[in-house]
Amino acid sequence: MRPLRSGRVIAGAVIVAAVLMCALLAPHLAPHDPDDQNLIAQLLPPAWQVGGDADYPLGTDGLGRCVLSRLLFGARVAMEVALIASLGAALVGSLLAYVAGYLGGWADWLIGRAVDVWMSFPPVILSLILMTGLGTGVRNVIFAIVLVDWTRFCRVLRSEVIVVARRDYVSAARLSGFGHWRTVTREVVPATVPLLVTLLSLEMGIAVVVEAVLSFVGLGARADQVAWGQMIADGRQAIYQAPWALFAPVLAIFVTVAGFNLLGDGLRRTLDVRMVEGRE
Amino acid sequence: MLLILARRALTAVPILFVVSLMLFVALRVLPVDPAAMSMPPSATLAEIDAMRSQMGLDRPLLEQYGIWLNQAAHGDFGQSLHLRRPVLRLVADTLPATIELAVAAMLVASALGVGGGLALFALRGRRAELAAESATTVLMSVPEFLWALLFIFVFGVLLQALPFTGRLDASLPRPDITGFLLLDAVLVGRVDVLWSALAHLVLPAAALGLAFAPPIVRVLRSSLLDVYHDDYIRQARLRGLSEGRILCRHALKNAALPMLTLMGVQFGFLFGGSLLVEVIYSYPGLGNLMVDAVRNADLPIIQMVGLTYCVLVLAINTLVDGLYVVLNPKLRRR
Amino acid sequence: MTVLRAEGLTVAMGDVPVLRDIGLSLEAGQVLGLVGESGAGKSMLGRAIARMLPAGFGVVGGALAFDGADLLAMPAARHRALLGREIAFVPQEPLTALNPVLTIGRQFGEHLKRLGIPRARDAAIAAFEAVHLRDPAGLLGRYPHQLSGGMCQRVLIAMAFAGRPKLVVADEPTTALDVTIEANIVRLMAELQRGHGTAVLFITHNLRLAARICDDIAVLYSGAVVERGRGRDVLAQPAHPYTRCLQLADPPLTGPPRALYALPETMPGLRDAMRMKGCRFAPRCPVAGDECTRGSPPMGPRAACFRTELTGGIAAPSLQTQQHGVGMDNVLEAIGLRKRFATGGLFRRGGTLAVRGADFIVRDGEFVAVVGESGSGKSTLGRLVVGLETASGGRIVLDGRDVTRGGEAARRHRVATVRMVFQDPQSALNPRRRVIDLVTQTLEARGVGRSARRERGRALLAEMGLPPDAAGRMPHQLSGGQKQRVNIARALCSLPRLLVADEIVSGLDVSVQAQLLLLLARLRREHRFALLFISHDLAVVRHLCDRVLVMRSGEIVEQGAVAEVFANPRHEYTRELLAAARGH
Ligand SMILES: Nc1ncnc2c1ncn2[C@@H]1O[C@H](COP(=O)(O)OP(=O)(O)OP(=O)(O)O)[C@@H](O)[C@H]1O
Ligand code: SF4
Ligand SMILES: [Mg+2]
Repeated sequence: MRPLRSGRVIAGAVIVAAVLMCALLAPHLAPHDPDDQNLIAQLLPPAWQVGGDADYPLGTDGLGRCVLSRLLFGARVAMEVALIASLGAALVGSLLAYVAGYLGGWADWLIGRAVDVWMSFPPVILSLILMTGLGTGVRNVIFAIVLVDWTRFCRVLRSEVIVVARRDYVSAARLSGFGHWRTVTREVVPATVPLLVTLLSLEMGIAVVVEAVLSFVGLGARADQVAWGQMIADGRQAIYQAPWALFAPVLAIFVTVAGFNLLGDGLRRTLDVRMVEGRE
Repeated sequence: MLLILARRALTAVPILFVVSLMLFVALRVLPVDPAAMSMPPSATLAEIDAMRSQMGLDRPLLEQYGIWLNQAAHGDFGQSLHLRRPVLRLVADTLPATIELAVAAMLVASALGVGGGLALFALRGRRAELAAESATTVLMSVPEFLWALLFIFVFGVLLQALPFTGRLDASLPRPDITGFLLLDAVLVGRVDVLWSALAHLVLPAAALGLAFAPPIVRVLRSSLLDVYHDDYIRQARLRGLSEGRILCRHALKNAALPMLTLMGVQFGFLFGGSLLVEVIYSYPGLGNLMVDAVRNADLPIIQMVGLTYCVLVLAINTLVDGLYVVLNPKLRRR
Repeated sequence: MTVLRAEGLTVAMGDVPVLRDIGLSLEAGQVLGLVGESGAGKSMLGRAIARMLPAGFGVVGGALAFDGADLLAMPAARHRALLGREIAFVPQEPLTALNPVLTIGRQFGEHLKRLGIPRARDAAIAAFEAVHLRDPAGLLGRYPHQLSGGMCQRVLIAMAFAGRPKLVVADEPTTALDVTIEANIVRLMAELQRGHGTAVLFITHNLRLAARICDDIAVLYSGAVVERGRGRDVLAQPAHPYTRCLQLADPPLTGPPRALYALPETMPGLRDAMRMKGCRFAPRCPVAGDECTRGSPPMGPRAACFRTELTGGIAAPSLQTQQHGVGMDNVLEAIGLRKRFATGGLFRRGGTLAVRGADFIVRDGEFVAVVGESGSGKSTLGRLVVGLETASGGRIVLDGRDVTRGGEAARRHRVATVRMVFQDPQSALNPRRRVIDLVTQTLEARGVGRSARRERGRALLAEMGLPPDAAGRMPHQLSGGQKQRVNIARALCSLPRLLVADEIVSGLDVSVQAQLLLLLARLRREHRFALLFISHDLAVVRHLCDRVLVMRSGEIVEQGAVAEVFANPRHEYTRELLAAARGH
């Protein structure tokens, strides 16, 4: 497999796998319960600094909670959202893209206008509005991301489907007697899988960011769930006294997103996918 | 040109219409009760019911929308439930700040994006290219709110070099003519105000601009690479033109086209990013208004601000489309 | 005076040579033709002159002199100063060789400014008049996409000759153009070349065209010059067996019809060629002897061959007086067939009529050609017949059954009766499927089992002359000619009564073209099917087909038996086409 020889794919996959392991094993790895407040050990610095406590490797936050434990449990929320939301968005977006790109005509027109309407909202604004309606909670975050980000898949994939569907081999398959279903599944879909995989990987990074943003403004995970965005919001209150409590989640988000982006970028190059570049 | 712009703007109208309808419906089916929210907690159920019918909330949705549309056509976008002020006024007060921030960020993003794209293109085929390219991938992984926090920490807390809350020093008088602070400072001729406003703008604009630059870098580079595969570049070389001239006269104009398309989408999204940056820098713009409204379930504000963002995005798209047509003769009608 | 001289020039990619020991010289005012099949290395010489070899390629030996100066050793700045002034280039694809976002005037003006020609506007207008462009002043404000391919090529030729260069390098300058336009462009280049006394290096794959316009010809095979001589001699009396075979592979447009000689296989790839000992043509050469594989034949006065005396004896097998037995029933009947494309965007007003009222029939077992220039509606006609487009008017009757109005039953009837072979095998074969699955697609659609499909597939491939191991390969592991065979095999899998073939031999080398033409003729004898053969190459049509339809702007302007139409064209346009193809 060519992708496995790309440095970026390997680097990205290793990072993503590491974060995933942290998320899965959080209950075993975490030294404390992430919600345990130790009121006599507030704002402890990391263990290697003066005044640090080996019991709290990354220190504690303003309420005396273990930063490392919260970080590990935060990874659970981040990965859950990343995986499920991006798969959901990919499913909705690509189905519509295949319908629009292959059938053309009014189906294409309708889906195209829907994308236009969606694209006239900055995604952050749209997800905020949706979260207002849906209420907080990880499941609603996932739902909102699917509702907002299906257009990313639809837009890019649709133009690819149109290109593929115009190739002579698709016509040739039709002329050989293939029905629409067989033509799409045998001739069109396989040609777009590399693009889909690439988009999926990039979307996972985006989902991590969106979840953090929503949790940061208090509209993401519920108060009883641990999320990186919340940790940032909490850490911001004590930026002078305990910068590490802010930095730890910032770094976690950055590393995770970088992992997904490296993976997606590497895939795009090795699978030779042409796509409209651009993040959000 | 004007005609093209007008035509593009016209296609935005139905979109706006649909968006307003969707916003309206989405916000009305929410489990919040604007009538109850707009009354003091001591109000009785009967009073709330009376309020509800006064606000027209007991009628069918479509009829409510019709009423809203009619009022909107007369310039009445409703009252904030929480702040008890006309929504239009609130938006008008905060919009200039957001536009100022967004434009500054766009300038930063464009400058960094184009500069970086050219630099990366100049590295093509060298060993440093892979490293530089991976660096853009990593930079892409830093969303604007992380930049914003990072800048606060480095320049605000560690270096104490730049202010990071609000738009202006509290000690200075705030001129209020157009709402665009930089412009107003110039109009009233206060250098200290201008200086302070600029200092307050630097960090948020840089954070926002930096986050949106990497995609521009990459698109410019990849479209330059594409263009250099085209026959007309080879033909220009075969005519003996210098490399500098080929880049400036022949390649850049062609490579600008895909870049422009991306920038249109990017700058639309940039308004979304500005919301977070505003929150983090307590910058009194549309974003803060929105977030407060969301926390207070202040539906009229959410609706109006959502619509305003939408108008901004559509306006950017229209402008970019127009520019695209100007640069691409194939789309121009003779 | 010698304008260009190459001595022992060797170009290589790493240690793999692409051009070997090239010795050529071009005198002032002369035209030198460089002829060879694709991959022979023709373009590399032009690129070496421009010092723009692809990445990884380099000159590893020999000398290349322009006007006495060493082109390869001179400083880059001096070399660049020559380009456009003393050495000019005419490109292969005129439509893409002009910058799409700058007007013609801007690009021409830029060139004139560099040449130091004053009063650029007047000079440009004069130059455009010299290349017979209409409305030269209006042209200055136009963009390339508003011009046709022929017009773009005229502009580029005007640019090339603007600085009165000593040498013009033209790499396949007419390949992308229609025959009628090709004739005009070739005439124009000859006119300017004579007028200015310019030396021209004319690179082409078309031996006949080269012989017509070149003073000297060099034939390239696998990176080396194998024959060299006066233009007319090389075509009339080839000295090298390869040239002789090329000549025999090319169907004649005039004179008595004759059988084609099809060289087996293809030119060896770069790496294979490097490993070969002796003459690189030996595996394909009909007169090869023992000595041929022992040592490399040295370049003689005309050819690099040990056995030139045998060349003249190479002949095509005699033409079988074929009894095709065209039946009486009509496989295809088109009545008043029309197609209008509703064009949005570019031509906003109304639509374009691609086919306007076509009436014709194809009889059982008959080969019918459709000829005409690009844009005349040939392909649309073919797509209407197979059902890839829906007719806007008229009727299509396939094997006695009206299939104009779609529907599932009509579709099934169509699938059973007619099959299409597409032009571009690259795009017609799904790159993700194996050859065996591609050729048996029809059976797959019918739900035939896997083992039965494999069996039929293998038999088909053998019949197409493809090696057995091709079955398991992916399309990208096949050569162009092999891909086209797979393409034809797929269409013939279920033995349809009618085959529609859209330009299936264009873009292929003559030797591969001859192989395919012979294959089609054989398949016709064995299976008896009718063919609607869309082509712009009149010589091929004359060789293969029984009847011909001549199309112009969507209309069939003339139809009849091939021999009759070619001998006595009745329509003005047919005469024009024939004259252009014969090079008048
Ligand atoms: N950019 C490249 N990279 C690798 N190999 C190349 C490249 N360009 C050409 N070649 C190889 O070099 C050899 C000579 O190529 P060249 O383009 O000179 O052939 P040509 O005779 O001009 O063919 P054509 O008629 O197809 O233009 C071929 O084997 C070709 O595959
Ligand atoms: S040297 Fe031998 S193999 Fe080569 S062309 Fe001459 S006869 Fe044929
Ligand atoms: Mg070539």
